[in-house]
Amino acid sequence: MKKILRDTCILSALTILAVFTVSIFWMGVTDEIKLVLELFGLSFIISVVNYLLDEITSLPIWAGYVVKYLAVTGIVMLFGFIAGWFFASNFWMAFIYVGIVFVLAYLLDTIKTKRDIDFINSKIREKAE
Amino acid sequence: MRIEKRQVEGKPLTVIVEYPEWNRSVDNLVRKIGRMDLSFSAKSEDSSVMLSILDVYYIENVERKLFIYTKDNVYRLESSMAELENNAEDFGLVRISRTCIMNTEHLKEIRQIRNSHLEAVMDNDEKLIVSRKYLPEIKKMFKRESL
Repeated sequence: MKKILRDTCILSALTILAVFTVSIFWMGVTDEIKLVLELFGLSFIISVVNYLLDEITSLPIWAGYVVKYLAVTGIVMLFGFIAGWFFASNFWMAFIYVGIVFVLAYLLDTIKTKRDIDFINSKIREKAE
Repeated sequence: MRIEKRQVEGKPLTVIVEYPEWNRSVDNLVRKIGRMDLSFSAKSEDSSVMLSILDVYYIENVERKLFIYTKDNVYRLESSMAELENNAEDFGLVRISRTCIMNTEHLKEIRQIRNSHLEAVMDNDEKLIVSRKYLPEIKKMFKRESL
């Protein structure tokens, strides 16, 4: 199920990117197309930063999430200002958008980590018996 | 599976695996047998020694120098992390942090410490910090071994 969901997300993203990129030739860069391309650009930057933070830092789990939360929120704010998504009065919304994603990711990650640990320990016990 | 043993004097230890067809179980068996034959040339304070993979608990990179840890001793290893990682999976070695490769044969348990760090407890009760990023790799290794 996990693989199907992951593949669905990847396929959806690629389909959206392909459809909107082809649409440029027919309709030019409309506001919708611009927004989609900006979101892909933002996702790419966040993924790179996420990867670099994983490689460079070795923090406790919760501290890793705090650092990533602050870094990603900073990027979203900066990108949002450049792309005109936020105004000076509502820039704090980035904390909420990113916060919701991070809380979900943290919960999923916690469950997955526990499952992985249980699986490994059960295999060690099997081997020892 | 049938196991035959026979003494042949004057010849090195030889293991012959006969199989009706090559499959994952046979592959796994051959890997495990091969694992017993890997050894490292390491240095202690005043001499060189050959260490069997079976004696290795973990390998740590400290300021670009590699150290092999056995149950009770530490040796200096003339190799690189990248070189070790090339053969790591076949020999039960798995990276658990940026600077440490662990031998899963001596792993007793993985623990999570107050939602903060992951810890590998070895069978000599030594504790190693496991980076969460590498947990899927450890899981993958145990998954493959159980096939």
